[in-house]
Amino acid sequence: MKVEVSLFGAFRDHEPGAQVVLELPEGARVAELRAALLDYAQAHWPAFRPGLLQRSAFASETTVLRDNELLPADGRMAVLPPVSGG
Amino acid sequence: MSGQSTHHCAVVDAAQGKLDPAAAIEFVSDPGFGGIDMFIGRIRNLNHGKVVTGISYDMFEPLALAGFRAIAEQVQAEFGPQLKLYIAHAKGRLAVGDLAVVIAAGTPHRDEAFRACRQVIEAVKHTSPIWKQEHYEDGDSIWSEGCSLCEPQNAEDTAAAHHGHEHH
Repeated sequence: MKVEVSLFGAFRDHEPGAQVVLELPEGARVAELRAALLDYAQAHWPAFRPGLLQRSAFASETTVLRDNELLPADGRMAVLPPVSGG
Repeated sequence: MSGQSTHHCAVVDAAQGKLDPAAAIEFVSDPGFGGIDMFIGRIRNLNHGKVVTGISYDMFEPLALAGFRAIAEQVQAEFGPQLKLYIAHAKGRLAVGDLAVVIAAGTPHRDEAFRACRQVIEAVKHTSPIWKQEHYEDGDSIWSEGCSLCEPQNAEDTAAAHHGHEHH
């Protein structure tokens, strides 16, 4: 399945388009997306530090999804670095 | 209270308008409410000893709004029906002195108003998908460290601050 990952916060500095499209097996879980994004980041983002991704969560438009949860069928996800609102 | 909505959640794009504390007071007002508490978060001119000229707020808006509503519903479940809440957060580029967040709580008495307002702002700060990038006088810009949503006690917690990292 094609997974469109929207990027926010510090991730935007690495990818000005703020989106990465990754190919994952059908029925993949968040942990697999996390691993695929790490591979992509290490291959494409020279200044990337893996700690940012380790501290980041993944979410659909309606909910934060844990590593053992299935990706949504529409393949639309966001990666959320540590938050700093308010 | 007559079946009207008891919370209002909003995101305001800085390019379109400003947060409005008067609208927050109006929304949480009720003939039966004698107490209103409001928290206003405002851009200040100094952080970590550096002169700040502005902050850009990035936001995953659909999830942020869903989160604001979930926070309001959880606090209302805890405090009961005699409570109105207003939650509004800015996005985009703000200047020093601009308002970043407005939270208001209206209740019959002051104690619940203070406590509900505090609980909401802490939950918004710790769980909302919002990111601030500070801009400095020297031209540098830095994304704030922030609070990881991977740690379940942060992601699910709507209580007052209790964990270790530094807050601003």
